[in-house]
Amino acid sequence: MTDLLANLALGFSTALSLQNVFLAFIGCLVGTLIGVLPGIGPIATITMLLPITFGFDPVGALIMLAGIYYGAQYGGSTTAILVNIPGEVTAIVTTLDGHQMARQGRAGAALGIAAIGSFFAGCVATIVIAALAAPLVKLALLFGPAEYFSLMVLGLAFAVVLARGSVPKALAMILIGLLLSTVGTDLETGAERLTFDLTALTSGIDFAVLAMGVIGFAEVLKNLETPELRDLAKQPIGRLLPGREDLKRSAGPIVRGTLVGTALGIIPGNGAVLGPFASYALEKKLAKEPERFGKGAIEGVAGPESANNAGAQSSFIPLLTLGIPPNAVMALMVGAMTIHGIVPGPLVMTKNATLFWGMIASMWVGNLMLLIINLPLVGIWVKFLDVPYRLMYPAILVFSCIGIYSVNNSPSDVLLTGIFAVVGYALLKLGFETAPLLLGYVLGRLMEENLRRALLLARGHFTTFVERPVSAGLLGAALIVLAAAILPSVRRGRAEVFTE
Amino acid sequence: MPPETERRLAIRAPQNFVGGLALIAVGVVGLLAARELDTGRFFAVGPALLPRGVSFLLGVLGLGLVAASLLRDGDPLGRWPLRGPIFVFLGVAAFALSVRTAGLAVAGPLVAMVSGAGSPQTRPRELIVFAILVTALCIGLFRYVLHLPIPILIVPGVLVL
Amino acid sequence: MMKRLLLFAALLGLASGGARAAAYPERPITLIVPFAAGGPTDVVARIVGDHMSRTLGQQLVIENVTGAGGTTGTTRAAQANPDGYTIVMGHMGTHGAAPAVYPNLKYDPQKDFLPIGLAAGTPILIVAKKAFPPKDLKEFVAYAKANSEKLNEAHAGVGSVSHTTCSLLNSILGIKPTRVPYQGTGPALNDLVGGQVDYMCDQIVNLTPQIQAGTIKAYAIATEKRSPALPGIPTTKEAGLPEFQVTAWNALFAPKGTPKEIVAKLNDALVKALDDENTRKRLLDLGGVISDRSGRTPEALGTLVASEIARWNKVLRPQTAAK
Repeated sequence: MTDLLANLALGFSTALSLQNVFLAFIGCLVGTLIGVLPGIGPIATITMLLPITFGFDPVGALIMLAGIYYGAQYGGSTTAILVNIPGEVTAIVTTLDGHQMARQGRAGAALGIAAIGSFFAGCVATIVIAALAAPLVKLALLFGPAEYFSLMVLGLAFAVVLARGSVPKALAMILIGLLLSTVGTDLETGAERLTFDLTALTSGIDFAVLAMGVIGFAEVLKNLETPELRDLAKQPIGRLLPGREDLKRSAGPIVRGTLVGTALGIIPGNGAVLGPFASYALEKKLAKEPERFGKGAIEGVAGPESANNAGAQSSFIPLLTLGIPPNAVMALMVGAMTIHGIVPGPLVMTKNATLFWGMIASMWVGNLMLLIINLPLVGIWVKFLDVPYRLMYPAILVFSCIGIYSVNNSPSDVLLTGIFAVVGYALLKLGFETAPLLLGYVLGRLMEENLRRALLLARGHFTTFVERPVSAGLLGAALIVLAAAILPSVRRGRAEVFTE
Repeated sequence: MPPETERRLAIRAPQNFVGGLALIAVGVVGLLAARELDTGRFFAVGPALLPRGVSFLLGVLGLGLVAASLLRDGDPLGRWPLRGPIFVFLGVAAFALSVRTAGLAVAGPLVAMVSGAGSPQTRPRELIVFAILVTALCIGLFRYVLHLPIPILIVPGVLVL
Repeated sequence: MMKRLLLFAALLGLASGGARAAAYPERPITLIVPFAAGGPTDVVARIVGDHMSRTLGQQLVIENVTGAGGTTGTTRAAQANPDGYTIVMGHMGTHGAAPAVYPNLKYDPQKDFLPIGLAAGTPILIVAKKAFPPKDLKEFVAYAKANSEKLNEAHAGVGSVSHTTCSLLNSILGIKPTRVPYQGTGPALNDLVGGQVDYMCDQIVNLTPQIQAGTIKAYAIATEKRSPALPGIPTTKEAGLPEFQVTAWNALFAPKGTPKEIVAKLNDALVKALDDENTRKRLLDLGGVISDRSGRTPEALGTLVASEIARWNKVLRPQTAAK
């Protein structure tokens, strides 16, 4: 215990130096401002802002980088709420209820609760990391491909719960997402799948392209349908921040979301992705009136946003303790660290204790910064919604096109996004939902990869999934979740299943 | 045709009917595209498993949806206004085609103006000014502040910014 | 009169061509890195590019264009305007193994590019999970040959450095392990540390922290001399497998047709960067290998490319054909 306190003291003394506080502030601010631009997700933001960290000492530079990361994450959530464009995977769930709240004139409450929930989650996650980093990682290393596969199956079960309407239609969307995730070069054999010999598709479809097209741009198209309604329905902004009622409703979801997010974020290999989905599914199941979800229920923002931030913080653990980045953003951080002369690895904790504990303490500082920066900003963001839509959407499109282009410097990505926009619009018109499609896409990749890897290692014996205890447990949980999702609808009558 | 048969074949849920057909179409495309992939050797699941399996399931779901649309009532197809989608797509395509050949200074206003025309409430002069302003802002931000390697203006043979 | 005018115009053209080359560079130069930001090649490019920017007086802007083992970005560089304002950081994969791995490759590493010079290479190591029975390279070779089908080898996907180099190792040893693909080195290393797979061949940059912490074990380094970053690891020569010599080299290339003077200027800037103490230190700290003066010329690079293409052709083509 005293060890922990001593380490935290060391960390805070580093993180609270005037320079480092300043760097954390600038990092968070810049990260938020850039992350808020539609189309620019955390990876693009960090890549773009990386050079400005070069002038500083390694610890300072990393603190700034971490600030940029949190800022970008939060900026992505902001765009998800305001204009229905998820900046990255974890923001998809926020679009479901967050954007609905914005349409009802409650954007301020949504943004505010997202900030508050994120702050709480950040604090808790920081403590967890500080106290349990090393032993947690050992636990996480027990996760092999079979366990990951089963975890992803559980994730798909969550996707079904996510569905606002008919289950079979949501299933169809998940399947299409799965199909889209197979486009590209097969990892194992190098064969090209579903690419129709187009170079643009050889590396698969980028998440940003799909999310932007099917959710973001399609939303624009939908809004263009009834322009008069949209401008006229400008509700009086009312409360800018969440009120008492909102806070009361959100307390439980925030705590639960934090726990779920932290637990999943520790799993190296992008377990953090599932956090928001799991939290949403959990809240929907626990709520007294689940029909409110999908129509602007604040719990649907509070829980996932907390899970989101908890996951983002705890995904630093595998990086700081093992030196192995759990996802693409962390891989970028590793590169950034390497450029600054620090090679992250298991010895950083002991050899470079100042760095390790300084970063952990600065996580808390960064979270505080985010809260301080964003609560006032809520007022400004909400004002943006006042811009007449006929001008706002071309602006959104310009930013988004640049953002998509900047991901891989590829114009064909932009064209692909346009195509997906039309596809997404058609899907919406046909009564399908697009969030399950994206979830199917994200999980599809991870699921298939791990399925084939697990089978490779088990030399083809499918029994490996039930022989290994953790995997069997996860599969069992998936079955339970699926049953809980489908049974009520089946009871209501088989026919109604198809038509809501 | 005798009236009873007519009634039996009536599409009672047009939205689901078309939706179901769409799913079947996707399934068929998927199966066709995955034709040449090998389904795998003994212990290694091949690259074709997921695409084929999913396409097949999609086809089945599609059939189910079509069947249900003939048996139960559902939503009508509704209006499909085309002005918005067409202009937005053309605008985005224009950006994609011009960003590396003519530069952001051309692509930006193009996407803003062409897609802007998709709204029935556009005011052309306002849109043009706005498009140029937004592009200028983007150029300043992305190129000069963030050093994004995006071409600004390319006049073939003469100028590359 | 006409003839004199024409001669004058021609001379003017030549002179201005030369003048243009003398004035090069007049604006920022794009350095295409065909891999993700933060990876080994990208880091080398940024370190070297940083110093080159100062020598040339113009910013070297890094443009990451990822995909297909680096061939997407390299293809774009091959098709770029040969005016010296677009160059590419290619490596052993894109300009050596690619013709053997990708049957539909859209460029020719020798014909479509002019070599500028070698930057830094990263040596390859053979590493294994901590619990793996063999204690050194000799035992590893014996164990591998005896238990070929039971072995699980991790790699970062077809076309990656870890895949290509382990193909060489496997063919030297004559073994056919189960090759388990991952989306990049991070996840592969993760499973190696976790003990889910048995062994891997990868660049030193990715592996050093793990080896130093003891979470995985290293059998040998496939270079002539031991690495200062990991002095305890024997070379393959010392440990009994001298045929396995491979370094993942990184080098700068320009599209064919780029004027000779510009290539010379770029080479000069590159050599100066590699001579600079600070740059050298950063590269060496990563475990990188910098060739001596004679190895830094464009001609040396050209020779290397030719020999690498031949070598990987021999090793990889039978494998690709067998799929």
